[in-house]
Amino acid sequence: MNDIKKWFRSGSPWVWMNAGAVTASIVMVAALIILIAVRGLGHFWAKPIFEAEYVEADGSSIRLIGEVHDTEIVPAERLRDSGVQVDKGIDSLRRFLVKTGNRDTGGLDFRWVLEPQLKSKRYPEELIALERYEWGNFYGYLKSVKQNGELVAEGESAWEALQQRLERAEGLHAQIREIEKDAIGAVNYKMERLRLKGRGLELQGEQPGSSKFNVLDEERAVLQLEYEGLQKNLNELLEQVRRDSIMAEVMDGRVVEISLAQMVRAYRPNAMGIFSKIGFYFSKLWEFVSDDPREANTEGGIFPAIFGTVLMVILMSIFVTPFGVVAAVYLREYAKQGPLTRTIRIAVNNLAGVPSIVYGVFGLGFFVYFLGGNIDQLFFPESLPAPTFGTPGLLWASLTMAILTVPVVIVATEEGLSRIPRAIREGSMALGATKAETLWRTVLPMASPAMMTGLILAVARAAGEVAPLMLVGVVKLAPSLGLDGNAPFLHLDRKFMHLGFHIFDVGFQSPNVEAARPLVYATALLLVLVIVLLNLAAIAIRNHLREKYRALEH
Amino acid sequence: MNIGQHISQQFNAELEDIRNRVMAMGGLVEQQLTDAITALVDGNPTLGEQVITNDHKVNGLEVSIDEECSRVLARRQPTAGDLRLVVAVIKTITDLERIGDQAERVGRMAVRLADAEIKQSHYVELQHIGNHVREMLHDALDAFARMDAEAALAVAREDVKVDKEYESIMRQLMTYMMEDPRTITRVLDVMWAARALERIGDHAGNICEYVIYLVKGKDVRHVSLDQMEEEVRSER
Amino acid sequence: MTESTAITHGVDISSLDREPRHLSLQDEQLCLEVKDLNLYYGEKQALTNVNMQIPKQRVSAFIGPSGCGKSTLLRCFNRMNDLVDGVRIEGKIEIDGEDMYNPHVNVAELRRRVGMVFQKPNPFPKSIYENVAYGLRIQGNPGKRELDEVVEKALKGAALWDEVKDRLHDSALGLSGGQQQRLVIARAIAIEPEVLLLDEPASALDPISTLKIEELIYELKDRYTIVIVTHNMQQAARVSDYTAFMFMGELVEFGDTDTLFTNPRKKQTEDYITGRYG
Repeated sequence: MNDIKKWFRSGSPWVWMNAGAVTASIVMVAALIILIAVRGLGHFWAKPIFEAEYVEADGSSIRLIGEVHDTEIVPAERLRDSGVQVDKGIDSLRRFLVKTGNRDTGGLDFRWVLEPQLKSKRYPEELIALERYEWGNFYGYLKSVKQNGELVAEGESAWEALQQRLERAEGLHAQIREIEKDAIGAVNYKMERLRLKGRGLELQGEQPGSSKFNVLDEERAVLQLEYEGLQKNLNELLEQVRRDSIMAEVMDGRVVEISLAQMVRAYRPNAMGIFSKIGFYFSKLWEFVSDDPREANTEGGIFPAIFGTVLMVILMSIFVTPFGVVAAVYLREYAKQGPLTRTIRIAVNNLAGVPSIVYGVFGLGFFVYFLGGNIDQLFFPESLPAPTFGTPGLLWASLTMAILTVPVVIVATEEGLSRIPRAIREGSMALGATKAETLWRTVLPMASPAMMTGLILAVARAAGEVAPLMLVGVVKLAPSLGLDGNAPFLHLDRKFMHLGFHIFDVGFQSPNVEAARPLVYATALLLVLVIVLLNLAAIAIRNHLREKYRALEH
Repeated sequence: MNIGQHISQQFNAELEDIRNRVMAMGGLVEQQLTDAITALVDGNPTLGEQVITNDHKVNGLEVSIDEECSRVLARRQPTAGDLRLVVAVIKTITDLERIGDQAERVGRMAVRLADAEIKQSHYVELQHIGNHVREMLHDALDAFARMDAEAALAVAREDVKVDKEYESIMRQLMTYMMEDPRTITRVLDVMWAARALERIGDHAGNICEYVIYLVKGKDVRHVSLDQMEEEVRSER
Repeated sequence: MTESTAITHGVDISSLDREPRHLSLQDEQLCLEVKDLNLYYGEKQALTNVNMQIPKQRVSAFIGPSGCGKSTLLRCFNRMNDLVDGVRIEGKIEIDGEDMYNPHVNVAELRRRVGMVFQKPNPFPKSIYENVAYGLRIQGNPGKRELDEVVEKALKGAALWDEVKDRLHDSALGLSGGQQQRLVIARAIAIEPEVLLLDEPASALDPISTLKIEELIYELKDRYTIVIVTHNMQQAARVSDYTAFMFMGELVEFGDTDTLFTNPRKKQTEDYITGRYG
């Protein structure tokens, strides 16, 4: 009894309690990261493809080709209830989710199979997997390669031929993409600008046929010529890429023809060694972070979403920092401290607790409809009724996020300002500096680490927020990035993609939820990484500032 | 010991000033003593008068040095060597002032004895003891100036000899008085002068003790010469 | 022989006839004059009927127990109290004959004339050079050469030049406490004020740094009028020409330091400086 009392008085229970709480937190964070990392990163590994006889419930048997996507244990009871024959004495069975691919021939590309019904499972090396621009993955046996409909290779040599021709096709694809996205995109953008200019002239009351219109017409003719040239190039390339095709056998025995124009990548996972698998893994990973999404976001990469997230956060920082700092400086340094400032401070603190969707609604109502609508009326009448700023976009999303995070910046900056020693201000004043000079030359630089702390918190919050963004600018698929080579380079009116929304979209709005689930984890991991990177950058800047303006500590 | 290395230049200057004043006062007192002895031995009443009138200068210096010392004590709160210097100075100037008084007394005797018809041979001994104490005073001040404990010890030893000389003069003068009672009045004056010179020797000895206190930090008053020597030789 | 004795010790007696210097307020030129000053923090009265005259190019020290108003009085001299909420001041403080609390006085201008150094060294988190140049940069945009000259002069004036001349562009926060305080003094004298107010400038420093600051004050008094507040009366005794003793917001005694420390006129002063204060 006495010992327990002594133990309590010694304070070690508190130490243990604190240590326990810290450990629990660390374990939870680590577990979260590990979970999404394992689930997400495993997706890019080349899984083996099996071939097996599958006995259906009615006793008939079919050939099954595909890769095991997921495994689970089901109680036999549940299977019996749903009418599946299960031997007595078996409590539970293993069940596989098999990705069979070939959505174009089979309709479904995933199916659940029970382990006991899979007979003579094997992994033939000749099985190939194709990633395609459409219809998802293809699994099957390569039969022959054709060029312009004529057979060029068959059997074992067909694989070699396919590889070579695929390389050529990839080169062509790269050219096509360049023409489609960059060259034609730029021409289209210019054409649109010309159209708007013409519309603007009309609104100014210019007579059709006047010299200004003639100039526009001339420019348009030049662009049209350029466009036609590009289109011709493109058609030629498309013709070339459609030259080759392969014949392949799918699991139900049919032989289908697949054009190389459709193929992204071809590989034989069962024949791959560990090193080629690692190489394959990294090329897939790179594709994920650097490519555009395909197939309703369930395939390909998420580069536009990363880009959109980072761009939005940077714009938000540019808006929120000066705004928050100015507000904090006024509140702390100039406003007469009294009931009014206290009320404002409480209001600001509470603003940080308002649900984010409310900010989304505010952004939509105030920024998009009211401000945006008026801006369109005033500055972009030529494109009406199509809205320019009167629709959700990058600018409004950034501003909404800035409003959402400004309380954090204000509070942190105020905190920093209040921590500057009085002696420093007095020292400056005693040298004949006015209050403004003191603030500008001494106090603000010294408070800059605190401002950065506020910004770090703001960035962390803004990068992870999804709900309000759905109302003010984020879309499932944005045709172009917010920053590109066409003047004025930064397009604040464009809609953008966002990692957080991408997760939501892929995970819950996708037509193929099973196929997309690993991508949800991978995207989540990436979102965490992006936020960590943004924060690390901000922390590095803050630490540098802190070192520079180290407060007087003696 | 070096008084010139304080961070405060002002403090340096103040201590240096005090020391210089003490040396000046010592020089003045020495001058007074020399003049008094000369006046006595040569029977020069003018010089004797001059010694008497100059005594106020010695007194003035004592007062001003005293004031300076109390100012330094109040404003600088001296410690260790600086403190011993100030304390030693305060005591030294008291002894110097007494020496000045004794010199004045000798001067007064010189004036009174100038017209006497006592044989000049009476003064030979006086001249001898006078020179001796003058040298003692000179060496004591020298020891103070150089902060030399060994030299101070040597001066202190001289005092024993001065005492012996004084005794022999007394015996001699006693004989004179018994030989010729008419001379008693005058011989008594001579005895006073001898007595004054002997006292000057004692004061010079005291100054040496202050020098030893200043340099070694040991109080050597009221101890035997051998003990004093031990203290001086010992390491600090 | 008599001649040689007189100069044995190398001292010329005639040069010592001068008496120790005795200062007297009547002989001084005035710099600051405080007339019937009352100061209130809200309801509380912090200074009561203070009248005093600070002489030019002398060091005046304010001593007294904590809370006696000595720092408050000092901070009146460059209107630092304006920065405190709820301060009310009655009476006049004249600098060279003009009232500094006159409404049309430019406070920044006044503070350039009356520099101040605080209790804790408060260098700005900038380089040594920029610290000293701060006051000049605020006044305008001086040329680089002019600035270099002023910085060097100020640092030499504050006896810091030799210690920092090789690292002028290092952070001032890397200096020791004593060096920082001298840097702050250099910063103050760089703008050539008339008066230098020192608010317990050595209380946060070690004894050696303290002595260096005191020595610096002694050297600076040829060019500036210095007013120093100190809770260390020995320090006041060491550095000042005049000392004011304050008690409970009132000026008890103001006079030359020698007299005040050896023979104060008021019993209250004597009790305080001898350590008998209750």
